[in-house]
Amino acid sequence: MKGFAPFLRKELSETVHTWRLWVLPGFLLFAAISSPIVTYLMPTLLDSLGTAQQGFSITLADPTALQAYLEYLGNLGELTLFALVIAYGGIVSGEVRGGTAALTLAKPLSRAAFVIGKWLSQGAVVIVAAALGTVICIGLTQLLFDGGPSGRTVLAVALWVAYALMLLAVMVLLSIELRAPAAASGAGVGVYAALIVLAQFEVTSKVSPAGLPAAGLAIVSGEPARWAGPLAATVVVTVACLVGAVLRFERREI
Amino acid sequence: MTQAVQHIAASEMSPAVVALLAVLAVAELGLLAWALVDLYRRPAEQVNGGSKIPWLILCLLLQIIGPVVYLVAGRERRRPAAEALSPGAVAPPPPAVQGADAAAVVDALFARPAAGRRSAAPSGPDGAAGVGSDGPDGAAASGPAVDLRDVRKTFKDAVALDGLTLTVPPDSIYGFLGPNGAGKTTTLRILAGLALADAGGVRILGRDVAGGGADARSLIGFLPDVPAFYKWMTAPEYLRFAGSLFGLSGKTLDDRVAAMLELAGLTGVRTRVGGFSRGMKQRLGVAQAVIHGPRLLLLDEPTSALDPIGRRDVLDMVASLRGRTTVFFSTHILADVERVCDTVAVIARGKVVAQSGIDELRSRRGGLNRLSIEVDDPQRLWAAIADASWLRTVEAGEPGELLVTCDDVEAAQRELPALVGGLGLALRRFGVDELDLEDVFVDLVGEGRR
Repeated sequence: MKGFAPFLRKELSETVHTWRLWVLPGFLLFAAISSPIVTYLMPTLLDSLGTAQQGFSITLADPTALQAYLEYLGNLGELTLFALVIAYGGIVSGEVRGGTAALTLAKPLSRAAFVIGKWLSQGAVVIVAAALGTVICIGLTQLLFDGGPSGRTVLAVALWVAYALMLLAVMVLLSIELRAPAAASGAGVGVYAALIVLAQFEVTSKVSPAGLPAAGLAIVSGEPARWAGPLAATVVVTVACLVGAVLRFERREI
Repeated sequence: MTQAVQHIAASEMSPAVVALLAVLAVAELGLLAWALVDLYRRPAEQVNGGSKIPWLILCLLLQIIGPVVYLVAGRERRRPAAEALSPGAVAPPPPAVQGADAAAVVDALFARPAAGRRSAAPSGPDGAAGVGSDGPDGAAASGPAVDLRDVRKTFKDAVALDGLTLTVPPDSIYGFLGPNGAGKTTTLRILAGLALADAGGVRILGRDVAGGGADARSLIGFLPDVPAFYKWMTAPEYLRFAGSLFGLSGKTLDDRVAAMLELAGLTGVRTRVGGFSRGMKQRLGVAQAVIHGPRLLLLDEPTSALDPIGRRDVLDMVASLRGRTTVFFSTHILADVERVCDTVAVIARGKVVAQSGIDELRSRRGGLNRLSIEVDDPQRLWAAIADASWLRTVEAGEPGELLVTCDDVEAAQRELPALVGGLGLALRRFGVDELDLEDVFVDLVGEGRR
């Protein structure tokens, strides 16, 4: 993959210098900060609203660290992944349409390096932001609650990262196939929704990536979790998408 | 609304909670409205990611955080070049270096080993690997810089290249001339490896472009008609990126970047490329294309949208490369071709309709020298020259004027005044009208269109 290292450096530098820095990390940090705080305040808020509107109070059990972590993982699985799918619709086509790819690919940079560099750089953003967000979430949770399954949460977030990297690979492929960023984002939302549907069936949740988010939640809750199969399927889908993306991009006219 | 307010007022909700909810509601609606109005008014090209729809979905579906993220990260910020110059600077950016200065930079870039440029040793001043060298197949050095054989390319039903055959000699500045839509850009994109020919042979410096990939591209520098740079980069950052893709590093890369900034007249310009004028971008485009000392430089209409000063700068940069590398230069501006090119090919409807040196091209189009002569009785002169050996055609011009096309203009220049004197006519005006390239171009393209 000729030219890979300088192109990857450029991609990482671009992430720091442009809007990309703010979108996914922004959603992740929002989830990390808001999840423990909302969990902590929710009983008080519901109690106040219930007293005011119904004339009686709603009594909830005291919130726990486990609930905060589950809320965090729920936000990662919905809010953040949705933002990822929307934000990366133009991850490749944006450069092709904008003309910057022509100037770059006329140099001795292989098409494979271009595609893998895009995926890897944004994957690094996902990993770093997830690590940072998880540290913040665990720290805040420790401040507001006692104890909690922080170790299991880290494992669950690691599974979420694998799932997010797979969706990123799907977006890279869609962004090469569909030249309009909005079309790729729309197709990405379709894939995301299809995975949610597949997660509802036991068979598909065992052998497809769709089972990974639920496995993460089960791990945090301390319940038996079948994550090996979904994780293996996630890795396979990721690799398949990247190989497909490279092969398609090799033949693509810029 | 009124009922809701009355309901809240009548409730026993804590004032702090009411205030918090009110602030949240106002913030949410305000942010959403601000984001949507901004998104509606902003041109798509000023929205990061190039499309408004994903941002619209984010704003509508992810309350508060969606609009905040759009307002922070979704809007492209543009600054004009003059505003973004180094602190205190108010003057426009400097022009490209001229004359001897440009030649010195180019001399350093394309310095040749004593044994001659076409040895297998690296040709860069600092011995950068692979830069300007002949590479593994040194035999390719003696062949043409560009060799296109019966190249065909169609886009759906439109034929862009229809059996294009073209040979570009090494170390020439080669003009690729044709009207809009003739196939110039398609040809250059194929040579740069950005598009594939449907059929035919495409070789650069002896290497097959389709099979050569990065190896062939390491020998060329390419400037598209509208170069698009990463807007967030500065000129030194972009040149450093371009150089590193060609395998330059360390002090070699530092020196090249400094030299290219000097060549492009961008030394000291700290603004990001997004704030550059068209001329600055074009000069940066030439600089990034020559940073590795390419064996072949492909320029696609490099002056087409520039003002006279920007055009002069770019043409001076191109002219400074004469004899150092091969420049393949597409344009439809005839004056540019006449100014810098040694050889020219004229393309029309995807085919080359003429290919030769500029002077040869002019003269080949029918011995194309025309005399105009004005006398008091043109009819007598017309009858007298009807049998002249050098005469090709005669036609009437302005009153009293004859337009005479000759095969041998020097013989005509000798004999015509004597003939006028012999007939006792008064010679009012006598001159040579040399056909310019525009006449030739119109003539050739007209043929191509027929």
